[in-house]
Amino acid sequence: MRLRSWLTPAVDDGLDLVLRLAAVVLLLRPMGPWFTRPALLGIGAASIVSPAVLRSPLTWVAAAAFIGLRLVADWPLADNHIYLLGYWCLGASLALRAPDPRADLARSSRLLLGLAFAFAVLWKGLLSPDYVDGRFFRVTLLADDRFADAAQLIGGLSEDQLLENRAALTPLPEGAELLDPPRVTEPPGLRAMASAFTWGGLILEAMLAVVMLWPLGHRITWARHALLLAFCWVTYAFAPVAGFGWLLLIMGLAQTERAQRGLRMTYVATFFLVLLYTEVPWAGLMLDAHAWFVA
Amino acid sequence: MRWSPVLPVVLLAAVAGTQVWLARSVDLAAWKGGGFGMFSTLDDGPHRRVRVYVSGPGRSEEVEISAFLEDTAMRLATLPSQTWLSRLADGVVADERRHDRPVSHVRVEVWRVRFDSVTLGATSILLRRYEHDAPP
Repeated sequence: MRLRSWLTPAVDDGLDLVLRLAAVVLLLRPMGPWFTRPALLGIGAASIVSPAVLRSPLTWVAAAAFIGLRLVADWPLADNHIYLLGYWCLGASLALRAPDPRADLARSSRLLLGLAFAFAVLWKGLLSPDYVDGRFFRVTLLADDRFADAAQLIGGLSEDQLLENRAALTPLPEGAELLDPPRVTEPPGLRAMASAFTWGGLILEAMLAVVMLWPLGHRITWARHALLLAFCWVTYAFAPVAGFGWLLLIMGLAQTERAQRGLRMTYVATFFLVLLYTEVPWAGLMLDAHAWFVA
Repeated sequence: MRWSPVLPVVLLAAVAGTQVWLARSVDLAAWKGGGFGMFSTLDDGPHRRVRVYVSGPGRSEEVEISAFLEDTAMRLATLPSQTWLSRLADGVVADERRHDRPVSHVRVEVWRVRFDSVTLGATSILLRRYEHDAPP
């Protein structure tokens, strides 16, 4: 009987959409070494093709196992969302064996989200002194290529200033000291942007941790969805980690009822918005357009 | 109360708690290890650097890390533990000998960059130094 519960596909209770998007994530971001990649791609493809595979607990426990194998093989280099995806797949496999799969997956998704955000807040707010004093985003906006377009577009940094700043941020060899060290130039717009990213990110993540972990669910359901969607709309326009964004959206979608059609469609639309964010260099295009108009 | 939905949550808490402990005790980079410390600190992979010095009869110099040891060096920069330090040192000895270069001692250093909170001036800070005598 217990073995059969792993092999019997669950009945669709609005979960198919959630599981199918998770399968899409496995296909969009193939991961790990050669011995996990084909298996995870195969699981993703088979889940999309076959509803029975999609709803089988065995599918998702296998996905969790291969993700776990990848985490061990890549230790300690794997990104955090790979861990989260592994936990979620395990949660999905356990939920699909339960009498009410939707309720179980909604609960594990909510708690996983809450705890992940709680640890993110712990790191940002308490364990990393260079976050709360603003250094993290001040340096990242200057030194990280992935934020360069946004730093110029919103922060008002020129191309020359960006290059000079990167040279100024390069550490000297041990013991060396320049007579006249180069200074970092930060336009007021860039400092404001760094502050907004620092405090906006921390406050939003702290609110998400609280509402997701808050036990009295029904009264604050709307706040959970509104905050999570707002987080994804804003964060993934800048943060180059679409895989994390998709996973958060899947975990939010898992907390919706089948009848909440508008909300579910908003989650799906945001899933594709994050895809657009990652594939279309919107800040670079706007920067080019701005330069063209000025010229 | 059903416990199966909570099982992955317990796993997350255990791994993330261990990550915090490893970060505090052996300088695991906050960004990695499943503790959700990404985008929280500048002490991450790109701001850590591994340097290797080799000495032997007639030589004492810093060497470039060869391509096949880059993965080990990246893991070491992320988690500068005894295991990865000795693994890289062993790899360097093997690599030097494969190229018929004499080696009797290897020194591995892991550095991180610290940025001043006001000027953002960058300074290199030594995180680990590991001395390794090559077997004859």
